[in-house]
Amino acid sequence: MLFIDEIFGVVYVIMPFKKEAYIFVQKLFMNKLVLLLFFGLSLISCNSDVDAGEFVVGSDYLSVNNKVILIDTLTVEVGTINFDSLVTSSQSRILVGNYDDPVFGKVKSDSYFQVAATSYPIYNENSDTDATNYVFDSIAMILKYDNYFYGDTTKVQSLSIHRLTQKVKPNTDDDSFYNNSALTYDAKSLGNISFKPQPLGKDSINIKLDNDFGSELFLKLKKREVTNFDEFTAYLKGFVLKSTSENSSSVIGFNTSSVVRLYYSKYLGDSETSLVKNFTIQDVAKQFNNITLDRTGTLIQNLPVSTTVLSGSQTDNKAFIQSGTGMAVRIDFPNIKQLKYIAEKGAIVDAQLMIKPINNSYSDAYPLPDSLQVYVSDKLNRLKGSLYNSDGTVLHAILNNANDEFNENVGYSISIGSFLQSELVKQLDSRSSLILTLPSISKAVDRVVLGNQKNATNKVELKIYYITY
Amino acid sequence: MKSKIISTVLFVFVTLSSQSQSISSSPYSLYGLGSLYDSDFGSIPAIGSSGIALPSDQFINNLNPASLAFMYKNHFLFDVGGKSIFSTYEDNSKKESRNNFQFSHLALAFPITSKSAFSLALKPYSSSSFKISNLILPIQDSRENYNLDVTGSGGLNDFDVSYGYRVSNKLALGLTTAFLFGNTTDDRNYTISSSITNIYKKTSYSGIRPILGAQFKVDSTFTLGMKIKSPAKIRASKIQSVVSTNIATTITIESELESDVDDYYMPLEVGVGLSKVFKNNLNLTLDYEKALWNSTNQSDLYGTYVNQDKFALGFSYKKRKSYKSYFDRIQYAAGVNYDTGFLEIDNQRINNSSVSFGVSLPIENTFSALNVTYSYGQKGKISNGLIKENYHKISLNLCLDGIWFVKRKFE
Repeated sequence: MLFIDEIFGVVYVIMPFKKEAYIFVQKLFMNKLVLLLFFGLSLISCNSDVDAGEFVVGSDYLSVNNKVILIDTLTVEVGTINFDSLVTSSQSRILVGNYDDPVFGKVKSDSYFQVAATSYPIYNENSDTDATNYVFDSIAMILKYDNYFYGDTTKVQSLSIHRLTQKVKPNTDDDSFYNNSALTYDAKSLGNISFKPQPLGKDSINIKLDNDFGSELFLKLKKREVTNFDEFTAYLKGFVLKSTSENSSSVIGFNTSSVVRLYYSKYLGDSETSLVKNFTIQDVAKQFNNITLDRTGTLIQNLPVSTTVLSGSQTDNKAFIQSGTGMAVRIDFPNIKQLKYIAEKGAIVDAQLMIKPINNSYSDAYPLPDSLQVYVSDKLNRLKGSLYNSDGTVLHAILNNANDEFNENVGYSISIGSFLQSELVKQLDSRSSLILTLPSISKAVDRVVLGNQKNATNKVELKIYYITY
Repeated sequence: MKSKIISTVLFVFVTLSSQSQSISSSPYSLYGLGSLYDSDFGSIPAIGSSGIALPSDQFINNLNPASLAFMYKNHFLFDVGGKSIFSTYEDNSKKESRNNFQFSHLALAFPITSKSAFSLALKPYSSSSFKISNLILPIQDSRENYNLDVTGSGGLNDFDVSYGYRVSNKLALGLTTAFLFGNTTDDRNYTISSSITNIYKKTSYSGIRPILGAQFKVDSTFTLGMKIKSPAKIRASKIQSVVSTNIATTITIESELESDVDDYYMPLEVGVGLSKVFKNNLNLTLDYEKALWNSTNQSDLYGTYVNQDKFALGFSYKKRKSYKSYFDRIQYAAGVNYDTGFLEIDNQRINNSSVSFGVSLPIENTFSALNVTYSYGQKGKISNGLIKENYHKISLNLCLDGIWFVKRKFE
């Protein structure tokens, strides 16, 4: 009994019957308890699974009740729509030229712009006696390439410049000019040029302007009849740059740092100093391109109003996108809700739409764009938003570069699983559509021709991956 | 103060062990509640898991609650164990290996009177841990494939409350109430095209199963034992979540939706055993058990449940009355076990056979001992999609014996 006091003893009172009770003293050494703790805890903490690599043994027993189905038979309707107007002002590109597109018809772009100088006096001296020392030399328009071109640049392009007879000012209640906006101008041209465009080889082209026009402008400035912006624009409202020859075959982009340059000289005694005055596009909102398309005789000559769609089945199983003129492709999934009947519980987890350009509709002169812009719209073609990647960036339809011999697999792929799943579960009756445009819709004339689901060679394909759960 | 320490220790173990419910990684865990788990106490693993007729005198016999009635007075037994398993799984085409170490059990027992004793035990009942990765399956209606990764985890715990009572000098009866509880998860990732869909299922189970036991001492060297495990219903409930991620977004298609799932039925099981001591130092134990799975009318997707037979035979040897050296006090044991299994797949049973060898290393001059057992076994066989599982298992069971002294008796 004595040593019990020396160790940690535990006293338990147990009463098996009401009248009797036993007191037990437990002899359990402290070190034993520590051993127990250590052993037990190490067992528990050692619980481990050393697993790495591939484990497929036993997979035969795995009950995979979830069905994974590929649906590639859903109806996809492809058609062409026509946005009635595109804002072409403030795009910072002078787009001029014309070409005869074998598919789309005659494409033409004229560019309107207002110019201004930073200061109007041509000399700073106060005494008017010095004025006689300044003499007009010449005037020219210097157009600087911005590297954009479309069509065949090996053919001669002819441009002419005319003086506007109407101010560069949008209609009331509007801030913008559109692809169909136009201003009146003097039929007599101030200058012409015929040249082979070298948008990547050279920096600029130089169009000599009419000397009478130049000297008159010089005199206005020299006599200080024009001393500020208002006086200047009242006198010279702006210019239009037009493509003249009907058989030109390209459209060229020039940037808005292009300039109208007045050359003059100062004579003082025997010395002669050459001077210039630059008139530049200071407000890009006062520059716009009028882009027209003559569709006569083409598949798309009867494009309907902007709130409807021209089905690809009426246009040789093709649909058309063109920047500048507002043509876009609309894609509809009229039977999407029928996927609800596949299973009581099921969902679209992924979907790939592959829409293909028509063979031979593109070439080096009419190259395919790398990507297409994708919008979600309602049935009246009103844009409701974009599709997005999980990182928040806008989702594009991307051109694959799988160039095979027959170009059968060239196409634009879009991941639309989330879009279709939300269409599938949408309570409302209204369906959404997808609209495809080119990224530079307002400042270029690129185009692409796409096949619909019945196109024999370049059929649109939709793969829907569906899982039941 | 010390009782506080003990209860703290118990609490820590119970919390940790129920959290760390592990892990067998056997492909056979895909069935039902998972692979059943043999957590035997003391030196039972070394004798082929036989011992229905053994008394709980030197260690806690988890096979029969009636054995508690033969506990020595004033002793307090404690048992904790773990297992290390090295397995290889083999089918027609592939061989894979996995290793793991896991907690096996925690138990304590103490006498209440000279004729009765009580025990508590916590152990895993089943494990549904498995892992199947990079499984390539065909997408319906196409020539494309998708990739499936499945991880199963969890399992059922078994908390046993047992009581044994000696009716006469020869006959003892016992009752165990087994509380089965726990949950299993099935976590699947479907990689389809450029999307990943996660389907997560969590099934929770709970149920109670009574087990009756009896032991009859024919003479001082010969004991017979039997036990009956009653049929039991394990209630199950399931929740499921479905989340799909593709290039654009992550959509929660279903969030923790509760649904009905079939309850699980455990069969009536009957076991008998005998224990005979020869020449005062060689102990033979022989058990037979039958589980009537047929009558549960259950089937799994790929297999059916069939009646199961289990045979266990063990020998243990220990020198008696000669405590000259430490080595003389070591108990040596060996055993074999054969189990027909309760699953039949394509008319093939998943049977399990094993041999085991073990030693019981005494600690101090009490019944405390460290039991070390090595066993080697095979489960299933290779044929027609069946899997052969080979395993080497090392069990470590620590039995601690605390002696209680009667200090005083009072009115």
